[in-house]
Amino acid sequence: MSVAVAHPEKRKNLENSDVILSVRGLKKHFPINSGFLIQRQVGAVRAVDGISFDIYRGETLGLVGESGCGKSTAGRTILQLYKPTEGHVFFEGQDLAMLGPNAMRQMRRQMQIIFQDPFASLNPRMTVGNIISEPLAIHGLYPDKRERQEYVESLMQKVGLNPYFINRYPHEFSGGQRQRIGIARALALNPKFIVCDEPISALDVSIQAQVVNLLEDLQSELGLTYLFIAHDLSMVRHICDRVAVMYLGKIVEMGPTDEVYDNPLHPYTQALLSAVPVPDPASKESRQRIIISGDLPSPARPPLGCNFNTRCPVVFEYCYHEPDPEFIEATPRHFVACHRVTEV
Amino acid sequence: MGVLMDVRDLTVRFYTQEGTVYAVNNVSYTLNEGETLGIVGESGSGKSVHALAIMGLIPTPPGKIESGEVYFEGRNLVGLSNEQMRLVRGKEIAMIFQDPMTSLNPVLTIGTQITESLKLHEGMNTAQANKRAAELLDLVGIPDAHKRLKDYPHQFSGGMRQRVMIAIGLSCNPKLLIADEPTTALDVTIQAQILELVKSLKKEFNMAIIWITHDLGVVAELADTIQVMYAGSIVERGPTKVVFQDPRNAYTLGLMRSLPRMDGTRTRLTQIEGSPPDMRIPPKGDPFASRNPYATERCFEERPPLKPVEGSDPNHLAAAWYDLRAILKKERENV
Ligand SMILES: Nc1ncnc2c1ncn2[C@@H]1O[C@H](COP(=O)(O)OP(=O)(O)O)[C@@H](O)[C@H]1O
Ligand SMILES: Nc1ncnc2c1ncn2[C@@H]1O[C@H](COP(=O)(O)OP(=O)(O)O)[C@@H](O)[C@H]1O
Ligand SMILES: [Mg+2]
Ligand SMILES: [Mg+2]
Repeated sequence: MSVAVAHPEKRKNLENSDVILSVRGLKKHFPINSGFLIQRQVGAVRAVDGISFDIYRGETLGLVGESGCGKSTAGRTILQLYKPTEGHVFFEGQDLAMLGPNAMRQMRRQMQIIFQDPFASLNPRMTVGNIISEPLAIHGLYPDKRERQEYVESLMQKVGLNPYFINRYPHEFSGGQRQRIGIARALALNPKFIVCDEPISALDVSIQAQVVNLLEDLQSELGLTYLFIAHDLSMVRHICDRVAVMYLGKIVEMGPTDEVYDNPLHPYTQALLSAVPVPDPASKESRQRIIISGDLPSPARPPLGCNFNTRCPVVFEYCYHEPDPEFIEATPRHFVACHRVTEV
Repeated sequence: MGVLMDVRDLTVRFYTQEGTVYAVNNVSYTLNEGETLGIVGESGSGKSVHALAIMGLIPTPPGKIESGEVYFEGRNLVGLSNEQMRLVRGKEIAMIFQDPMTSLNPVLTIGTQITESLKLHEGMNTAQANKRAAELLDLVGIPDAHKRLKDYPHQFSGGMRQRVMIAIGLSCNPKLLIADEPTTALDVTIQAQILELVKSLKKEFNMAIIWITHDLGVVAELADTIQVMYAGSIVERGPTKVVFQDPRNAYTLGLMRSLPRMDGTRTRLTQIEGSPPDMRIPPKGDPFASRNPYATERCFEERPPLKPVEGSDPNHLAAAWYDLRAILKKERENV
């Protein structure tokens, strides 16, 4: 676009970052029950079906994929808001499953979540001040009323809200401002790691950039690590250092963002990226679009063999058989699970 | 290409307990036969209300068309009786919505819902209508079309329901299809399927399309003409390529600049400051003035008219008291 202004390009130096969070073989299956008085399990929704990855301190890892592929469930299970069906999450080396209730409570302060819907996620009967300070109350921090208020005001300032509005209610704020309230609340306990679950999807285009810039500023100021869940692939390219592509409960491709976007290896990633409409009418003739047909299959009945075989444009005989394709490092730091890539 | 629709000075308000909502303010434009018009703007900017006004679907009260005319093939639709509008809807103009469930009847089969309009508008008998309905479902890419006529809306996925809506929309060969954010709730993969479908149908049926969206990418891909709305007014309009290259309204520019770049250069996003306007405040001056870094004094006082842009395509119109081209040129020189 000819109207872009020049800004110095910013890139993080994550070379020497250590791993802050590790996910190993994580599964979350929701039981499907049937029966009225005596419930019995007749199946399971395999929302998250065995994912493994590391997140480095200070980075933003993107998690993308179609709705229903398990992104939110992954985020919540990592934070232990859902009990994993299988697998482990390590935060700074500690296995979260091994922590007792007290230790887990302390651990929760380190890990927070920001939700998609700033309208639904804030209690309409609480003032902004109370919403932001609720986590402080739960953890018994800042017991002094004056100090707590001062701290809340400083948080409001930090996220670009006028502290003057501390006694107002959520409905008196616009969508973008409500998302700032949600961010201030997530920051209250001074966390190290934040799951951002589609934090801009419900916002207007003109407001999305404000919130993305804020998240980036806070990251560099506070050294935060993000798991950024989104379906807007162009925003993911902008904000994420690495990206993981999820399909039907599994990660099918993962790598440095530019590498995955410029050189996608999995046919699903290729289709997903080519489906993004580009805001440049000049490029429309030159684009090659890969259309995948049909919808995401139900995670209660995933296909036999490779999960993607019902929609894959380059499917071959082998893809219908077990075992599933292995997740391999195809090029340095670029992982993919596809028989085409592995076998050919 | 002849003019299909001429919207003149359309103004719609809602009289609510919280005050008067100035939803659409003096909107005027023409749409040619076979033209695809993409309308963008943030939520609450009057896109849907303007479309509903064309369709004669403004809930009255609280809503009211204050003034204006909508000439469709020379006939003013504003003021037609419900009976007359029912014949226009579906036959002349079809509309599809973001959430197909709101316009599909959950207790009737898809087949019944398509054949209903074929019988009403085209005078077909049941056998003819059934045959045509299956053809239409097939055309919009629904597998096993014939069998699926017997299914109910909830048995279709979101993307498939939107295809059904398009099939119903197309059933009577309308001259204009108005699509109000039909892909906003869908995944990009499914959106891509629908966009391809619409592009091919457009060629086949040679109908005009008004595509309402907040996604500039979709407009770039689909629309011949882009129309940007802010606070119930058109602030810029013109051939899509021209407006993308040479925006003359600060809100249009702001929208374009706030998007991340797809080429991987990670420059900080240029954000639009402030919040969307309160539509209950009667428009005074340029509604974007308070968020516009280039606003002049006049912008706060007097509403700028939508008028042809100097030194651009003759169909390029913008509402601005400032000279955005000159401002940007200066900006570039100072970098
Ligand atoms: N609490 C729940 N109980 C049962 N099924 C669920 C629950 N939460 C999510 N699911 C199912 O798990 C799958 C993944 O959902 P989700 O993680 O919300 O996906 P995403 O965030 O990628 O859209 C979906 O099929 C969804 O219906
Ligand atoms: N039935 C209604 N009653 C009151 N206000 C309405 C009604 N429908 C729309 N509005 C208001 O009209 C304005 C324009 O809305 P709309 O056309 O739906 O915006 P959008 O550009 O998002 O489609 C908004 O301020 C909206 O709140
Ligand atoms: Mg989700
Ligand atoms: Mg709307």
